[in-house]
Parts: sequence; structure tokens; C-alpha cells
Amino acid sequence: MSTFLEPKFLLTLILMGTIVYITYLTKRNATASDYFVGGRSFGWFTNGSAIGGDYLSAATFLGIAGLTYQLGYDGAYYAFCFSIGLTLLAIFVAGPLRRFGAYTVADFLAYRFHSKRARLAAVAVVLAISGFYAAPQLLGAAQILSMFFGTSYEFGIIFTCSVMIFYVGIGGMKGTTLNQALELWIRLGAFLLMVGAAIWGGLHYQDILASINEFKGTITGTASLTADGKDIPFDGSVWTGTGNYFPSFWQTMSMTIGLSLGTIGLPHILLRFYTNPSAKAARRSALMAIGIASVFFLFAVYLGVVGRSIFLTGEADPAVMKDLITGGNNMVVPSTAQALGGEWLLGLVIAGAFAAVFSNLSGLFIASSGALAHDLYATFFRKNITEKERVIAGKVSIIVLGVLYGALGLMVKEASIGHLVALAFTVAASTFTPIFILGIWWRGMTEKGAIAGLVIGLVTSMYMIFFKTTLPEFLQFNVPGIITVPVGFLSVYIVSKLDRRVPSDVNEFMKQVHSKESEAA
Amino acid sequence: MAGEYREYNYVAADTIDVSELEPLDPETKKIMKSEFSTGIKLTLFYYVFILSIPILNWYAAEFMFSRMWGGMTYSWFFTSIVAMAMAFVIALIHTTLYEKRLKNEAEKSSTPADGRRIG
Repeated sequence: MSTFLEPKFLLTLILMGTIVYITYLTKRNATASDYFVGGRSFGWFTNGSAIGGDYLSAATFLGIAGLTYQLGYDGAYYAFCFSIGLTLLAIFVAGPLRRFGAYTVADFLAYRFHSKRARLAAVAVVLAISGFYAAPQLLGAAQILSMFFGTSYEFGIIFTCSVMIFYVGIGGMKGTTLNQALELWIRLGAFLLMVGAAIWGGLHYQDILASINEFKGTITGTASLTADGKDIPFDGSVWTGTGNYFPSFWQTMSMTIGLSLGTIGLPHILLRFYTNPSAKAARRSALMAIGIASVFFLFAVYLGVVGRSIFLTGEADPAVMKDLITGGNNMVVPSTAQALGGEWLLGLVIAGAFAAVFSNLSGLFIASSGALAHDLYATFFRKNITEKERVIAGKVSIIVLGVLYGALGLMVKEASIGHLVALAFTVAASTFTPIFILGIWWRGMTEKGAIAGLVIGLVTSMYMIFFKTTLPEFLQFNVPGIITVPVGFLSVYIVSKLDRRVPSDVNEFMKQVHSKESEAA
Repeated sequence: MAGEYREYNYVAADTIDVSELEPLDPETKKIMKSEFSTGIKLTLFYYVFILSIPILNWYAAEFMFSRMWGGMTYSWFFTSIVAMAMAFVIALIHTTLYEKRLKNEAEKSSTPADGRRIG
């Protein structure tokens, strides 16, 4: 078979062709509203699919199953924590945010406090979170390319950044939303087929968990693939219990708090609620995204268990066994797909994995582009910028971001996708989450309180992540949400209480974000 | 104005002491109270469920990791199946209640002042 007729090439090429086609169809972005928020024209189904596409990144498609495969119950617990956040976002933020109706996350603070300083602080946090989130997505893309197409890691990073610069730069939010919606359904289709194939093959959830739990010894057929030449040991009862990754109760609680509150502060997710035509459509979009995400997380955990079950039997194709050992936990989904459905299912999963990476990265690019072009350039450097210039600035910023994120991607070659994303969630939970919840529901929040919350939340979470070992042992958390989230909330509250100076038009702001105007779709 | 972006010119905004703030208008106050009350009740219920899983895992491990369905333990079942459904159910209840409130408000505003309906 010619190389390009192999399923993995064919399906990936079809995906690329579709992205190019959609981008071409949506290339006309006459106004800033078109470019940054898609002209606020997307209904709940399209936007719900796009939010799902944005949220269910490579961390979900590859990472959650990988973490479950590697860590057992603690990996499944990751999925549980990721699944909580969108619901809280739907309850407290989605509707009011759409009624506010700006272009970027930083617009919210700038408008709430009439403050350029608040805008600047928000820009810094948007870029920090997006960078944290983008790096592991690029890692996933480069690993897939390397493993299944034989390219180098560096080529994978450059290729993926080039695709993103093309499709976000030309298509703007319109092209991005439509591509994200399409890409979500490709991934869901791939997962559905994998789950169907696993159940068809007799790999029932409760049965394989039983056999994994009873396994204790070495995995046959793995000796030739390990560095020490010995079969890999495995204890199923440890894998199915807790304590594999979170060594204590407080470590578990810390991650639960960090991840469950992180979604509310993710800039690329918050931004999506500006693209709906009404507050009602925004809430329905969130509900649809939650439904899709729930199914996805359920499937991801199950497929991680299936991957472990296939590996333990030692009867899979030698290439699959090799991939499961050498690919690390990030490549369990493609390897399991190959074991369950052969080359065609593998091809679909590879296309789905690219779809996951592109979909999430495009959201991050758009959010960061808004921060650079709209919040920074148009506010601080070119005050009288025209609509056309604003769109051009957005496109140029995409190129700058492509280079920046590419550099970050090169730095995280050995990392775990799921864990890096968890850290991005923690930074978001410690910075934007307090700002949005208190900013929407508490009139007493002041400009100084908001800036203090952003700066202290960012510095504390970054320090606890990067300089963990300098802290006393009881403060060394894998995901430090239990400390950093309360610090973020308390900073806003205490500084606001001390400051006491609120904008004189705060009542008008509250009326705008909570009024019934513009409710109906 | 609501819902549409308006460019903000950075006119120095006045600030006042929070104690001097006028009360919110009754309608906004009512909407906020009703929204927040529903949201906080659902969130409290949701978090009791969410936090009870790790608490039970660590302090009632024997029960949580005992088998309930084949090799599936109570903990696996609640974490990887029930929790996923719960996220959607909570959001569905919230959206349904919100749309019901919206419908009621719309009906009220179309009802004549004497409270009687025509037809």
C-alpha cells in the first residue's frame, strides 16, 4: 500500500483538508467583532460543541486515559476533578459574562473598574495560563507525529505551530469555532468506536477491573522491551486503590480544589461565552458542553482501564506492546485503538488526537491574541486604531504567539500532558476564578483588590509549582490548589475591605450583567 | 446596551467609599438574589457529593474499595460513572430552573395590572 493510502495518513490528510476548507470559507473578518468573537453569531449547538472542543484538549483525549492507565484509580480521579469545573462555570459565570459582552477576558476588569492597570494585570495572567496550557498540547502533537509518522519532536512542534498560525490567523474566531465544533465530533466518533470495539471484544468494565485487581506478578512478553531485560512487575490491588499519585488525603483535596475551580478561570473558555447571541444561548451552550464532556470523561477512564487490561495480558501485537512501554502514558489511546480496531481505528484516533490539539490550541491562540492585540496594543500603544488595523494586529499577534508557544513546547518534551494541564488549572483557579466570581456577585470588590488577587494568586501558584522543593514538606503539593485558591480569594477580599473605594457606577455594572435584557435567543 | 461591547474611553472614573453606595435597584437585587440562591444551593449539594468521595476514600477505605459490581468498587463506580452524570444533572437542573424563572417573569410582565388574563 502506498504510504499516503495508509489510514493514518489518509485520515489525517482529510482532517487537514477540512480545516483548510473551513478556514477558506470563513476567511473574511471585516470587523474586530468578527475576528475576536465571531460576530456573536453562534447558537448553543455550535458554541456548545466548540466549548467542548476547547475544553476537551489533548489532556482529555490522550492524557486522562494515559493517567488512568498509569496511575489506576488516582488517574480516574483526575478525570473526576476535571469534570466538575464546567458545571460551576455554567452556574455562576456563563450568563452574566455574555450579558457583559466584550471581546476579551481583560475587558471585564477594565470595564468593571475603569482601569488600565487592571487590564494589564489581566493580560499578564492570560498569557501565563495560556502558555502553561499550550505547552502540553504541543507536546501531545509532537509525540503523535514522532510516534506514528517518524518525525522528530522539534519538527512536530514547528508543524503544529504553523498549522495554528494558518488557521487561527486567517479564520479568526469564526473559523476557529467551526473547526472546533467539527473537531469535537471527530474525537467523540473515535472514542465511541473504541468503546464499541472494546465492549464488542468482551472487555466489560467490571470484568476487566476484576482481572486487573487480581493480577500480581510480572507482565509476560515485556522483557525484550525493557532496559534491564526483565519482565515488568505489576500489582493490581495497588493500581485499583488510591495513593498511587496522591500520597495523602490533603494532596487529594488540594487537587480537587485546584481542578474543580480552575475551569472558571480559563481565558479560552471564558471567551467562548462572548460569542453567543444571548445569555440564554450561553447557558445552553454550557449545558451542552457539560453533557459532551461527561460522556468524554467516562469514556476516557474506561479506555485507560482497557489499555491496562490489554497490556497485562501480554497478548497484543508486539508493536502495540512496544508503544505502551516506550510511548509513555500519553500514547495509550492510539496504542489501544490499534489493538482494538487495527490500522483504520488507529488512523481515526490519530486524526482525533490532532483535532484535540488543534481545537484547544486555537482557543488559546484566540484568547492570547485578544490579550496582545486588543488589550495591549490597541489600548496602550495605538489608541485610535481602526477596525481593520485591529484585525491586522490580531493576525500579527498570532504569529508572535506561534513562536512563543513553540519555544515553550520545546521545553516540556518529557512532561505528562495531564499533569501540566492540571497545573494550568491551578493557576487559573488562583487568579481569574476569584476575580470573576467576586466581580460578578460582590459590589464591594475594588480595583486594588482585584489586582492584588491576580498578582498574589499568580505569584503564589507559580512559586508553589516551580519551587516546590524549597517549601516545608507539609506545603509540597503536587497540585497546590488547597493553598493557592484561598490565597487568591482572600487577597481580593482583604485588600478590597481595606481599600473600600469602589467605582461609583458599580450598580450600573451589576444591572448590566444581571439584567434580563438580551436574554432570549 | 446590554450584551453589546462598547469601547470604554479612559475617563478618570469616580470612586466612592463602599458604605456610601446606593442600594441596588429592586429588580436587579431580586434577580441576583434568586440566581445566587439557586446557584449556591446546587453548588453546596454538588460539593457535598464531590468532597465526600475523597473523605470516604481515605477514612472509610475498606467500604469504598470493596466490590459492588464485578471488579468495580464503590469508589470506582462513584468516581468514574456517577460523578460524570452528576455534573450534567446539576447543570441541567440549574438551566431548567433559570429558564422557568425567565418564562414566569415574561408571563408576569404580559399580565394586565389587575392580575387577570384575557382569553
